[in-house]
Amino acid sequence: MPIRHTARERRFRVLVLRVALLAVLLAIWQIASLGAPAFVLPGPARVYSAWSSLVATDSFWTDFGITFWRVFMGFVIATVVGVPLGLVLGASEKLGEFFEPVLSVINTVSSSIWAIFALIWFGLSDWTTIFVVFMTAMPLILTNVWQGTRTVNADFVELAQTFRMSRAQVLTKIYLPTILPPFFSAARLAFGFGARVSLVAETLGASSGIGYRLRQAADLVQTDQVFAWTLTLVALMIALEALVLKPLEQRLFAWKKRPGAQ
Amino acid sequence: MASVKLQCVSKWFARRDGDSLHVLQNVDLNVPEKSITAIVGASGSGKSTLLNIIAGLVQPDRGCVFLNGVKASDFKDWGSMTYMFQEDRLLPWRTAARNVAFGLEAQGVKRAERKERVAETLALVGLDQFADSYPHELSGGMRSRVALARSLVTRPTMMLMDEPFSKLDPTIRSQMHTEVLRIAELMSMTIVFVTHDVEEAVVLAKQIVVLNPRPGRVRETRTVDLSYPRDPAAPEVHEQARSLRASL
Repeated sequence: MPIRHTARERRFRVLVLRVALLAVLLAIWQIASLGAPAFVLPGPARVYSAWSSLVATDSFWTDFGITFWRVFMGFVIATVVGVPLGLVLGASEKLGEFFEPVLSVINTVSSSIWAIFALIWFGLSDWTTIFVVFMTAMPLILTNVWQGTRTVNADFVELAQTFRMSRAQVLTKIYLPTILPPFFSAARLAFGFGARVSLVAETLGASSGIGYRLRQAADLVQTDQVFAWTLTLVALMIALEALVLKPLEQRLFAWKKRPGAQ
Repeated sequence: MASVKLQCVSKWFARRDGDSLHVLQNVDLNVPEKSITAIVGASGSGKSTLLNIIAGLVQPDRGCVFLNGVKASDFKDWGSMTYMFQEDRLLPWRTAARNVAFGLEAQGVKRAERKERVAETLALVGLDQFADSYPHELSGGMRSRVALARSLVTRPTMMLMDEPFSKLDPTIRSQMHTEVLRIAELMSMTIVFVTHDVEEAVVLAKQIVVLNPRPGRVRETRTVDLSYPRDPAAPEVHEQARSLRASL
């Protein structure tokens, strides 16, 4: 079939472009590293050897697991709190109007400030990082779910009423499917932000995890180690996006009209 | 058995400025079973409100509604009644088959039976090939058929329609009319529909109720004694439509 053929061709083209981009970046990096001492900008080969010895250690995977566990916990608590709150604020116009400023305030406070508060309140513990991830992710999820409830089509609710559906049925059959797309994009954003701020939190208030190792490496001027950690993180986030989030989104929202189709 | 009787129904709506708007005044209506009744009238004549009162979605301020001879407040068998909107109102996140199944979900029909009845109803409207298509993949006419199937899957004996198919282009609309007449006959349904289109009223209805606007009240009730199917281009249909338009 001709259509399938062009789709495969396009995918191949994208792959070639990505590989070329990677090669160009590596070349620039290599050239730049030649003119700088290794503690300022280590070359790709040096970073690779630092990375391979890093991966071989047990603590690498332990730190990895710890950081992701903290991000995940913060994210889960943010979802458990944010989704019902968003639904409640969406359902009651008065509550929504009353609490709107609180959200703006939370959104303007930087993650580093939350990290400092967390350090004061929780000290050097897992909860410091979890709290910072929570404070970053929760308002995002809450706001999107709240906005999502406003897009619920009154016509669909009326339709459900003509079929004499119960309130619970209207909630699960009309409200939830409407809120799912904004919730999903918020969750994606919140997870990404959460992963990033967790590092800030860990550099300040943890004695384990990727953020802590990054600071340790920086303190000891092991710049190649800093690079190795950073590249690992970048690779992991890209893999998560391509292998988990994107396929999941395509599956969940197959019903959406794509701009390219038809 | 599916009949509707309204006695002296009046309705007021509260307005924002505190006044009340008189929407319906002493409306009497008698819809015998297995008949097709059209409610026509200018905008502001309370056509849709009248339909919503029959559907139990709006409560009248005065007067009585009887469904199958039972007072509406004591009526239990709402599942035997179905409502079709002006728009198809298909849920975009559900396939055609799952949209049709929506009609059965409130009734607690078991999954296996649901599947069977959905397939049967989609076949009835000629869409069995499109069960797995999403609404955005279907044409306007097909979407209307899905909406019709969703209304029919509960096996209603009474169908209420609020300006049905008015958003479709004339050819497809006329196809939908044929389809509705065929299915109404097959399922021995009683139909009450609201329209502002006199041709539609004459092609479909046996009884036409004309409402006067502000407040809505019955001006006249006429019977269309033409045999089905009625050709919209036939001279006798034209004649009826012209006389109806003149009375509006």
